[in-house]
Amino acid sequence: MKIVHLIAGIALSATPSLAEETTQLDAHEHGVGQLNIAFDENKVAMELHAPGADIVGFEYGAKSDVDLAAIDAALQTLSDPLGLFLLPEAASCIVITAHAKLESEDSDHDDHDEEGHDDHDEEGHDDHDEAPGHTEFHAEYLLECANLTEMSAITFSYFEIFPNALELEVQVISDKGATAFEIERDVAKLDLRGIF
Amino acid sequence: MILRLALGSLIARATTVGMTILAIALSVALFLGVEKVRTGAKASFADTISGTDLIVGARSGSVQLLLYSVFRIGNATNNLTWSSYQDVASRPEIAWIVPISLGDSHKQFRVMGTTPEFFNRYKYRSGQSIEFADGKNMSDLFDTVIGADVAATLNYHVGDPIVVAHGLASFTEHKDQPFKISGILNKTGTPVDRTVIVGLRAIEAIHVDWQEGAQVQGQTTPIDVIRKMKLQPKAVTAALVGIENRLQVFGLQRAINKYNKEPLLAILPGVALQELWQIIGIAEVALIGVSAMVVITALIGMMAMIFSSLNERRREMAIFRAMGARPRVILGMLILEAAVIATIGAILGLALMYLGVYIAQPIIDAEFGLWLPSKAPTLNEFLVLAAVIIASIIASVLPALRAYRLSLADGMLVRI
Repeated sequence: MKIVHLIAGIALSATPSLAEETTQLDAHEHGVGQLNIAFDENKVAMELHAPGADIVGFEYGAKSDVDLAAIDAALQTLSDPLGLFLLPEAASCIVITAHAKLESEDSDHDDHDEEGHDDHDEEGHDDHDEAPGHTEFHAEYLLECANLTEMSAITFSYFEIFPNALELEVQVISDKGATAFEIERDVAKLDLRGIF
Repeated sequence: MILRLALGSLIARATTVGMTILAIALSVALFLGVEKVRTGAKASFADTISGTDLIVGARSGSVQLLLYSVFRIGNATNNLTWSSYQDVASRPEIAWIVPISLGDSHKQFRVMGTTPEFFNRYKYRSGQSIEFADGKNMSDLFDTVIGADVAATLNYHVGDPIVVAHGLASFTEHKDQPFKISGILNKTGTPVDRTVIVGLRAIEAIHVDWQEGAQVQGQTTPIDVIRKMKLQPKAVTAALVGIENRLQVFGLQRAINKYNKEPLLAILPGVALQELWQIIGIAEVALIGVSAMVVITALIGMMAMIFSSLNERRREMAIFRAMGARPRVILGMLILEAAVIATIGAILGLALMYLGVYIAQPIIDAEFGLWLPSKAPTLNEFLVLAAVIIASIIASVLPALRAYRLSLADGMLVRI
């Protein structure tokens, strides 16, 4: 089931305080996440954006203990990039920083949707009822690899860990410029030869 | 032994065999050549812009932004306001930013307003810089630098005056403010060749007396006054951005895409080029299809040649049989002949292709800006050659089987 919401740059007039600013929503497609990878010298920066539906299977504001525990566990898993994306041994990469958080579409600044909901004012709630708030997991990693030239491929155990994830749109930047790939569940491997 | 017989037999029929080899060689050369042009075109296409990390413009689609900002195809849906441009330019991640302003034209060529820095920052073909064939960079407000195609088509030289027309297909010209050509660029094979480049301030200068897209009647501000004006643009069409640290590209891209004062779009040129190629790349499949057909036609021609030779070689076969050759030997010999023909044809085809590339390379580069690399044959090319040889063996099985069957009884009974 794919739900595509492509609502961009729509000014919502429901809230007077927001009338002068534009409200924008990112494209959000269940089953499809984005992974950006930048290679520079021996550093690798990675960014993962995945819909809540892919990671924990729901996108409503978690209130029950079970749901909250699921989110905590997911954030824990997402904080271990080397477990999600298997890099060649020979590249000998280590994690320098890894952050994962849950973002709600309603506000860019709310890290946790479940907390954010209660703080919103009345007008704000009206908007939410019309457009169900999607949630997204965002993770950022910085790795350091001793032999970046050995980085021949990345194997995505991400798909084994998150059974609801179907596809990752991968963008890679290296000395040779930017390229895009689509990694799907059945062929969960990214060939990086020719990137360096 | 069989090989010697096969070779001897081929030499004896040198003319027909030669023609068949030639047909196969030409078809193989065509197939490999098309492949070469295809990969060359793809690489040249991807090399249209390099060294630029992001292209920023009004929000539309990534392909559209790429088309109008780099290829000067189509028009911008919106402009990038000067204040947003300043906001983007002042971000700490940015190493350099070059604005471009489109909208006017000269004859059939687009006029692009930019800063002199453009010539240092715009790179093509993996980091190659634009070079001046003649003259120098813009220094005066009304200086212009033109691309190689503009100079060649309109026969312009350094120092010539040119008048820019308002809009893309209009008859109103900015006659009051003529430009002087200060430099002509070398051929790059990129859209820069077909562009008239002026200063960003000059774009403002020629529109001083214009309001709402038309010249205000009877109002002409003297050039001296214009020169003293600040001429700060209200908006630009797009901006090319270079980044300090590559690891920050995605962060900056997201920040620009979420900029809330104006809907902006930042794209990675490489990714957008790839998307664009996926759209126009269908033609490459058609090209490969057509050249594969030519190879198949040549192989069928070879098959026909072997079939028709069977009749005239009945005696030859009969003598082989009488000498004690088994039918299997006849079969083997015919297949071997086909394999030899195809191998020679394939190798000759490869050589022909390289000869062609060697001769055509500078011409194609100068005419179309398409660089065909004359590298050593790739694994793919060898696979193509192997496929041709194997296909020829399969194609020869049919006539060979016929000869096998005929040679059992036929031949001795030939009545002449």
